[in-house]
Amino acid sequence: MTALLPEADSVNLSDLAFWALPPEEREAAFAALRRDRPFAFYEEPEVPFMEKGPGYYSIVRHADVEAVSSQPKLFCSGEGATSIVNLPAELNEFYGSMISMDDPRHAKIRRIVSKAFTPKMLEAVVDSVEDLCADILRDARKVAEEGDGTFDLVKHISSPLPLRVICRMMGIHDEDAPTVLEQTNFILSGGDEEFITDESQAMMQIIQAGQTLAGIMERLAEERRETATDDLTSALVRTEVDGEQLSYQEIASFFILLCVAGNETTRTAISHGVWAMHQHPDQKARWMADPSLEKTAVEEIVRWASPVIWMRRTATQDAEVNGQKFKAGDKLIMFYNSANRDENVFKDPFTFDLGRQPNPHYGFGAPGPHFCLGANLARREIAVAFRQLFEKMPDLEVAGEPDRLKSSFINGIKRLPVRLGGGA
Amino acid sequence: MSDTLRAHVDEDVCVGTGICEATAPDLFEVGDDGTSHVLLDNVPAELLEKAKEAAANCPTRALTLQ
Repeated sequence: MTALLPEADSVNLSDLAFWALPPEEREAAFAALRRDRPFAFYEEPEVPFMEKGPGYYSIVRHADVEAVSSQPKLFCSGEGATSIVNLPAELNEFYGSMISMDDPRHAKIRRIVSKAFTPKMLEAVVDSVEDLCADILRDARKVAEEGDGTFDLVKHISSPLPLRVICRMMGIHDEDAPTVLEQTNFILSGGDEEFITDESQAMMQIIQAGQTLAGIMERLAEERRETATDDLTSALVRTEVDGEQLSYQEIASFFILLCVAGNETTRTAISHGVWAMHQHPDQKARWMADPSLEKTAVEEIVRWASPVIWMRRTATQDAEVNGQKFKAGDKLIMFYNSANRDENVFKDPFTFDLGRQPNPHYGFGAPGPHFCLGANLARREIAVAFRQLFEKMPDLEVAGEPDRLKSSFINGIKRLPVRLGGGA
Repeated sequence: MSDTLRAHVDEDVCVGTGICEATAPDLFEVGDDGTSHVLLDNVPAELLEKAKEAAANCPTRALTLQ
């Protein structure tokens, strides 16, 4: 990073306006925090109808994120992992499911679905990922050819691929897929005005979105109780934990978590990958010329995109991390985007290098029990998407700037205009 | 003392992320119980590097070589 760094104390991560700044300015702010204020304390963002909490520490260095994430007994998830503000317990569980849960319950719940996301099980899914991706690219080309040669990459490629894959794995009917996409967008809108027009209504809209998804789950669960298949919903309704079936609410939140997490993240990675290769055409040419780069390329895209920006932990007792003392109850926000640019870990962290090795990024979360369940699936989806883009759409080029989601939580891209047959 | 190493999975900690299975599929497999299982009693020499990589990258640090 060559730009002059801002004053670390001038940075306010709780200001939504910060998250609308150009990426370079945000990167510079985090570089300043890593250097000068590695444990900066912030007031909590205002959330309508919610009592403002005591504030939080931002954890921005790779080593500190690792220390917090890998000590779940000291820094728990059960107080909430995806919200800075303490949510009422019911909401926390409803939207967090096992992501806002601690072991041993967390481990038991997670193991119900672990098997479905392992590399060997995913072998069976890969063929369908290939087929789905081919269909999606064909449809996208049609949109371009029937229109003015352009289309929105997010709408026609990055969204539908993970959406259809996760819907298929969960057994969600095709006709429900658009609703799943729409409602997960609400849940992860992060306050972006396009999704949440009236801030005072935000909580209500998110609750409604959750209820809509729960409704889809309810109908599907009913079918699966009568006739089980090999999909994830069948596993959820069939499995017993500690001799008991999961409650209605547990199944609903698990279902919502898989819908949300399976969609938004991979979509963001694919969109950022296309944009990054547009900005770094040498890297695109390098990968196209050398398909064996796939493994490191996928990791670099995830590091570069850092789709999920942070997760929260709460200190369960007085504790110390690399010299910084915390008190029981302190909130810690682990900024993965910052860890993924840490100068002490990554050589030239601001260089997009598809051959980067080693690449110990935290794009799937840092070490600990909550490491991304879908990491193996996401890697497959990203690999397939780019391999097919290179093969079937070598003429794809970016036709404008990305329209970014204004959110501190998801590094989203809402739209990215692309065109086919550029000049050819 | 032989030089052979054995892989060990702490079942209380493992949540079946499958990173070990992705790294060394001949050595590890996540079972129906959602935790990883060691497929070979001893780590063969040709898989030693992969086994070390899997242990180093295990997100829950459930995997050790002894």
